[in-house]
Amino acid sequence: MSQGVLARSDSAALAAPSGRASKKAATRNRVIDAARALFDTKGYDGASIREIASQAGVSVGSVFTTFSSKGEILSEVMQERLTLLYAELDRVIPHLRASTADRLRSMFAIQFAFEASHTKLFLAHISAAYDWTLSSEARPFGRTPRLRQIIRECLERGVEEGDVAAGVDLDEVVDLLLAAYAWVYRMAAWDGADVASMTSVMDRQIGLIAASFRRP
Amino acid sequence: MKHMATPQAARETTVKAPTRRTLAKQQTRAKVLAAARNLFSEAGYEGATIRDIAAAAGMSTGAVFANFSDKSDLFREIMMSDIAALIETMRDAGERGKDVDDAILKMFTAGYAFYKSQLPLARAAFSVGWSSDDGPVLRGLAGVQRLRELITEQLAAGVERGELSQEAEIKLRAQMLFDTYLSNFPQAIFEGWSLDALQARAKDQIRVILAGARRG
Repeated sequence: MSQGVLARSDSAALAAPSGRASKKAATRNRVIDAARALFDTKGYDGASIREIASQAGVSVGSVFTTFSSKGEILSEVMQERLTLLYAELDRVIPHLRASTADRLRSMFAIQFAFEASHTKLFLAHISAAYDWTLSSEARPFGRTPRLRQIIRECLERGVEEGDVAAGVDLDEVVDLLLAAYAWVYRMAAWDGADVASMTSVMDRQIGLIAASFRRP
Repeated sequence: MKHMATPQAARETTVKAPTRRTLAKQQTRAKVLAAARNLFSEAGYEGATIRDIAAAAGMSTGAVFANFSDKSDLFREIMMSDIAALIETMRDAGERGKDVDDAILKMFTAGYAFYKSQLPLARAAFSVGWSSDDGPVLRGLAGVQRLRELITEQLAAGVERGELSQEAEIKLRAQMLFDTYLSNFPQAIFEGWSLDALQARAKDQIRVILAGARRG
């Protein structure tokens, strides 16, 4: 019963935000804007909560009433970015005309190009997900269902068009592609690999994985 | 006699004194490492401070710093001793394999079993492994390279025995297998997968990665 009451008052608050709710949303947006800029210029470790607060024009205390940790702020910033990336993939993918392996190659190339300027932030995000600093609601990169779904759809289309064998366990192929993807990422962040070499290594790995699902 | 005895006694004390000191130093190091291992497991890498580690070991932070240059030095030391043990375990397991797939599966299973009882520490290792400062250091450890070489060696043996084709792109496949091995840890860490589930999954993944490499 009390759950229902709570839900109703929640939706009422959404319909007509109270002064406090809108103030909270404004703080949230300002913190995220400030954090995005600071993470881009100083990196995740280099940007302190104090700086983020001062850049956002709010107190350190109110940052912490809105977010449980710096990791969670990062998670929000990255989620925003990933939403843009997924929208871009959704726009481009229907127009791709090639074998499944080649469509996967194009997809990952788009991702690398999109993420190239933020590889360190993406790594920080993955790192935070393994640490104790992310709250359980925060969504760590690499475990995003949306990305899995996009790759899976690409494979399903392959099954429909007949170049992916029907009995293949698609989720397993998705896992392998994501594992390969993760490795190429580290290569970029630590060995300073550029988009072209990331893409070429990923292309070869996709080729090897495709050998297992291609219809004989 | 008298003038002979004196230098000898002096020599003995100079030999003995450093031994005692070395012994004490080793004991201190071992105590700090044990405390650090516990704290990294309980609080994660970010959550464990040198101050807490010192307190748990029953010594001052100064005494900790006399033995280790910083927190990452401590963590590296723990990882190095674990990886050395892991290399032995995985190599022995691989030698019992019936064929290439089986050898690699046995190696992976041994690795999962090794960390199954200390998943929080594995989680901290992943956190550090993905961070931009300490990640490259951890990945660059000789032991980590050796683990990947163990896989390469099994693939090379498979080529020699005629199970895999001469054109099997061993290095790339070994890298992919290693990344796949690592990519299953999140299932164990976050989803509580059993050893059997990990083994079943790894078995399929190995089959897929080696699919295009079979002879004939």
